[in-house]
Amino acid sequence: MRTSPPVWAEAILRTFLKAESFPNVSGDLLEQYRDSILPARGLLRADRWYVSHVFGFVLRGALPWAALFAGAAVARNTLDWLNPATDYHARALTSTALAVSILLVAGFWTAWRSGSFLAGAVTGLSASTVAAGLTILGNAVLLASSFGIDPAQGSGGLDELFHLPLMLILPGMAVCSIGGFLGAGARRFSRAL
Amino acid sequence: MAEILGTFEQAVLLGIVRLADDAYGRAILQEVEMRLKREIAPGAVQATLDRLENKGLVRSQLGSGTPIRAGRPRRYYRVESSGVRALNDARKTVEHLWRGLSWPLKGHA
Repeated sequence: MRTSPPVWAEAILRTFLKAESFPNVSGDLLEQYRDSILPARGLLRADRWYVSHVFGFVLRGALPWAALFAGAAVARNTLDWLNPATDYHARALTSTALAVSILLVAGFWTAWRSGSFLAGAVTGLSASTVAAGLTILGNAVLLASSFGIDPAQGSGGLDELFHLPLMLILPGMAVCSIGGFLGAGARRFSRAL
Repeated sequence: MAEILGTFEQAVLLGIVRLADDAYGRAILQEVEMRLKREIAPGAVQATLDRLENKGLVRSQLGSGTPIRAGRPRRYYRVESSGVRALNDARKTVEHLWRGLSWPLKGHA
């Protein structure tokens, strides 16, 4: 019988943790998996335990970036509602640049820590997904608390509030992946010097 | 004044104090779970240990691995003198808050 957790889950953990922390942190998880979880719960539930804790590490790391991203998106919608403009070009440019910067830095930072090119993609997917949820929640609160304000007077109406955050998940992952490539490359370059 | 500690930080620091030379990640996790009587995410303990180390309240060093860990090393933690001071301050603060009251409190919730 297999006595190790799923290889793919361990690979995700490796891409996400600081390179210096991976051996001891993954060792702690592996020790607990083999020593107490697997004998008590069986293979399937032990694997589920392991995977859930790997995602716990990933989400914990992605949450600050997701909160920043969602905060910027909700702030933009609030501005559009409270102070409608005739031309949204400048605002769109600013908020897009801010969102791209947040994701690039997130990808760069996690890849710099772990040394893995894939860290950006993992961070991008998790941060963008969590950010989409937070943005939709924030927009719903905004909508519920803004009686008398027509969401259509913003730049994109209801679609922008509830569909756009979901549509940004994959582009967000792509941008974060670019940051990841830059971060992992910079780490390797700095070590080579 | 020394560092102000949160409850979870106190639990982790006290776990390290109790475990003495055996204070590594998984042992600390088990100690904290036993004391707080609930399941704790390993990531939460790891994040707290990293934070405490960044604050200079604990220090760590790598030990050897074991076969059950596939040879991966354990990271052992020790509380620094600033960590001991922070724990003492936290205890003193709680005692100060409770002074003059008998435990458990009686009355309507």
